[in-house]
Amino acid sequence: MLEKILPEKIYKIISEKVNFKAINEIRLRADKPVLLNEGGKFFYLGENGTTSKQSEAIFASKIMVEDVVFRASECSIYSVNEQIKRGFIVTDDAVRIGLGGNIVEENGKIKTMTNFSSVNIRIPHLIKNCSLSAFSFIVKGQNIENTLVVSPVGAGKTTFLRDFVSQLSLHNIPLNVLLLDERGELDFLINSNFCDKIAFSSKKIGFENGIRSLAPDLVVTDEIGQEEDIEAIRFAVGCGCKILASCHCDNLENFSKKTLFQDLLKEKIFKRFVFLSKRNGPGTLEGVYDENMSRIFRNF
Amino acid sequence: MKYFFIGVVFCLCVFVGYIISRKYIKRKRFFESIIAFADKLSLDINFSRERLKVLIENFDLGSRKNLLGIDCAFLDFLDKKCDLSSEVVFKKADVLKEEEKDLVLLFLKALGRSDVENQTKEISGFVTRFVEIKKNCDEEQKKYGTLSLKLGIVAGLFLVIVMI
Repeated sequence: MLEKILPEKIYKIISEKVNFKAINEIRLRADKPVLLNEGGKFFYLGENGTTSKQSEAIFASKIMVEDVVFRASECSIYSVNEQIKRGFIVTDDAVRIGLGGNIVEENGKIKTMTNFSSVNIRIPHLIKNCSLSAFSFIVKGQNIENTLVVSPVGAGKTTFLRDFVSQLSLHNIPLNVLLLDERGELDFLINSNFCDKIAFSSKKIGFENGIRSLAPDLVVTDEIGQEEDIEAIRFAVGCGCKILASCHCDNLENFSKKTLFQDLLKEKIFKRFVFLSKRNGPGTLEGVYDENMSRIFRNF
Repeated sequence: MKYFFIGVVFCLCVFVGYIISRKYIKRKRFFESIIAFADKLSLDINFSRERLKVLIENFDLGSRKNLLGIDCAFLDFLDKKCDLSSEVVFKKADVLKEEEKDLVLLFLKALGRSDVENQTKEISGFVTRFVEIKKNCDEEQKKYGTLSLKLGIVAGLFLVIVMI
């Protein structure tokens, strides 16, 4: 897919002179050097691959950026405008392109985005067994504890969720899983025979419709961050579904301070908290905590 | 032998007249088809919001033939096989005038670049201009198309008389 999205010159260098498997992000900004995130660190992209010297870097132009957006929409911006309103486009193979540009508002609502000036192309990777260390703390026999995966941006939350769902199937735990996928990127390369998916819907609508129509045992959703999401989770738990969700946060301290999660912590809806970091690269498991925030697993 | 030769000359004149008149028919059909194409795009973009490539591929094959290959060139552009330049797009569309080519190229370049509302407005703007050109094409075809065919026949007859 990247071949179709990226400018020919940049794609050629990336495919021939860069270790593609290590790339997490490609950032293009109008009239600025092209940046690659390799294993959590940023490098410039030069004629001969990655470089730390700005003088050797290739510069992106505004036309390049706009062309990436056009190509990512399969040459049909109108068809992905609902995604663009939310600031990103997700391709069929779960490459997420974050957009920078001008937001057009009408009556207080976002109508579209224009004049694109930067893109952040996030490349998903399947890291097999990355959830295994935490798996036994979350799954007891055929039962699953409500779990919240907490990590900073780009530390592997979504990858953890994907692998966890695949592991359920691999461990012959026949639970019906509903992937509630607001951005259409969660089901990338998931190897499960028990998975349903509702994509591009808000958590509220997705939870309600999904639970009603698909009767899942486990609902998996990415990046909860609003009061409405918490309400949706309460609704799902009230319906007897188990939850595996993720949220952004740097560490345990900051997480405990987040007002949004105070009630959740008090209500002890989540029985397990999995903390990830980028300490040894994205996806480093820092620890697993129980509902009292007592550590039950620590990764040294 | 002489009469055979006269017959060939007559046919040749009529053929030349026919070829010239065909140019006007082609132009007329091209703009009829591009108007239909633009209208369908506008409708489908509003209704199904399907990708451009699918919409173009689903466009009526009969009408696509009249588009003189610009649809195929545009599909190639969507597949990143070529640029959207005048040379590539109008390789087979030599019956169009330069300003018409510019307009059609602008139309193609505008496709897929904005949200539904703006895209529909843009397409509608282009359709208005295509309709004007089509009117001119109709008149040209009536005037010069039939005229060139008649002239071909007259020229043929004239040569036949001279040769006899």
